[in-house]
Amino acid sequence: MRAIIKDFELSIKNWYRNKAAVFWTVAFPVLLILIFGAIFSGGEQKILLGIQDLDNSFASKAFIENISKIEIVDVKIIKADEDIKEFVKEHGAALQIPKGFQDALINKEEINLTLYLDPSKETTNSAVRTFVANVLNELNIRLNNGRNYIRCKEESVVSKEYEYIDFFIPGVIGMTIMTSAIYGSVEINLKYRKRGILKKLLTTPLKRSYWIFAKMLYFLFLAFLSTFIIVGVGKLVFDAKITLNLFSLLTIISASFAFTGIGMLIARFVNEEESADSAASAIIFPMMFLAGTFFPLEMMPSYLQIFAKILPLYYVNEGLRNAMIFRDFHKSLLNLAIISIFAIIVFIMGTIITKWEED
Amino acid sequence: MNVIETKELTKVYGDLVAVDNISFEVRKGEIFALLGPNGAGKTTTVEMLEMIRKPTSGEIYLFGDKPNEKIKERIGVLPQEFQSFERLTVRETLLYFSSLYKNSVDVDELIELIDLNEKRDELYKNLSSGLKQRVGVAIALVNDPDLVFLDEPTTGLDPSARRNLWEVIKNLKRQGKTIFLTTHYMEEAEYLADRVAIMNKGKIIDIGEPNELIEKHGGKPKVKIWGINELEGYEYKKMKGGIEIVIENEKEISSIISSLDAKKIKFERIEIERANLEDVFIKLTGRRLADESNN
Repeated sequence: MRAIIKDFELSIKNWYRNKAAVFWTVAFPVLLILIFGAIFSGGEQKILLGIQDLDNSFASKAFIENISKIEIVDVKIIKADEDIKEFVKEHGAALQIPKGFQDALINKEEINLTLYLDPSKETTNSAVRTFVANVLNELNIRLNNGRNYIRCKEESVVSKEYEYIDFFIPGVIGMTIMTSAIYGSVEINLKYRKRGILKKLLTTPLKRSYWIFAKMLYFLFLAFLSTFIIVGVGKLVFDAKITLNLFSLLTIISASFAFTGIGMLIARFVNEEESADSAASAIIFPMMFLAGTFFPLEMMPSYLQIFAKILPLYYVNEGLRNAMIFRDFHKSLLNLAIISIFAIIVFIMGTIITKWEED
Repeated sequence: MNVIETKELTKVYGDLVAVDNISFEVRKGEIFALLGPNGAGKTTTVEMLEMIRKPTSGEIYLFGDKPNEKIKERIGVLPQEFQSFERLTVRETLLYFSSLYKNSVDVDELIELIDLNEKRDELYKNLSSGLKQRVGVAIALVNDPDLVFLDEPTTGLDPSARRNLWEVIKNLKRQGKTIFLTTHYMEEAEYLADRVAIMNKGKIIDIGEPNELIEKHGGKPKVKIWGINELEGYEYKKMKGGIEIVIENEKEISSIISSLDAKKIKFERIEIERANLEDVFIKLTGRRLADESNN
């Protein structure tokens, strides 16, 4: 146990004293999110508000016309036979003028308009809410001497839709864990072999399984570090709707172990420095692009989708998305189970099939 | 007592017999050197003893036992061309390696002993190659081993760093440790070793104390006198500019000098030539020890 802790400590020291390694672990994923996030998030300046007129009267039309004249708002008319909730899911906010609007105005009776909002878009919601409140307030002052006849009730429409950045962030987490664990463990093995450190360790009582486990802990530390940075940047800069919960953390742990194991296996079977690097890249790059890191699997031809399902990163991405965005814990548990089994197999292969001992 | 004993130790890679049926023993408390050119099979041999490689056939006994995990607590190893962790300090490096053993020495005392005090907080990568090797030797000592393996410890060092490390190694012997050394430098073997095994092409050609081997294979000492053509009373051989007399022992030198004196013979220069391990090696193998390609 002391050896494992010491080895972990050693890896961390070696890492933070290597400025380039720190830069790449921390800065690379952040750069990716900033770039992709900026590309895919269209800047919305105006408030987009759908209006559905169920009264279809002179008064309601005049009301809509007046609102449309206000510059900060972009009004879209929703036809009476369309589903207002669908509009909200897609665009975020819509106001419904009920039947009897004109009559209520004439008779000075109370009437409720309904404001449909998507609660996940809280930043635009508050702007919409303030805007609608101001409009109705003004109308009440003009028509009713400030008495609150025209009111507004709010209804939420929970959207299952997510934005690209929400989809992208779990992908970046999966990809970062994969690249740092595979490249990292290949590099450690090759460096240690070249420097005679593996030989040296062979002559000490340190067990190989302890050593591999200590390295797994080290890459897990890096994985958590990258995850917190990625999620932090995603939330701060892009207001991403993602959460780190138990399932996502468990998925990250088994993913990190699985990819460290893959790296250890590659390093064992490929001796030359360059060929080990290419072998690592040959595994990393197809996985990165085919396992749904940058775009949903559904965008790919079906034979590639089938292929993707044999890639461990696919299950990591799926597991993370189910846990972090959709909060579908059944699916996330299933993915977690697949990755964990895979991690156990690679760890066992890593300690049994591979050997430190030289021929 | 023998600390190491091998019987018909053999290692074969495909068609290549890297180590060919060698048997020898290393006695407690001695410095034992395996001397031979690169490619002789020294490292393969030492790595089998260190339990890094498995022999194809033959037997190894360390402290009277077959190699096993427990023995790893009792041996210290400096592998060939060993380079430790770049970004750990000398002290951190030693603390790391000592954490791998059940029993370990006090790291600060070890730093003192190997004379690394001034560099204790220096990162390994910033050390000179001589100091790096010294750290390597220190690492091999963290578990206070009874048997220390040093595989080509001074290769690539400048002469003063090499001499420095020799003193460190001599010191280890004084502490009662048994040292197994491989080298292709004959001066190193001659200076350090109590006994030398000469290895070539996977075989051990002869084992013995350096002086014994030199006497046995190197021939007798020669006295070379320049500026004369003959000397009565001695069997001499003419050479360019002088004569050469083969002597039995060093006492004959004074008799030659007094004879020259008595006859008032004027000469330019007198020189005594003794064989060294290099000559022994050439005699035994027809090859030079230090291949041009090595250095």
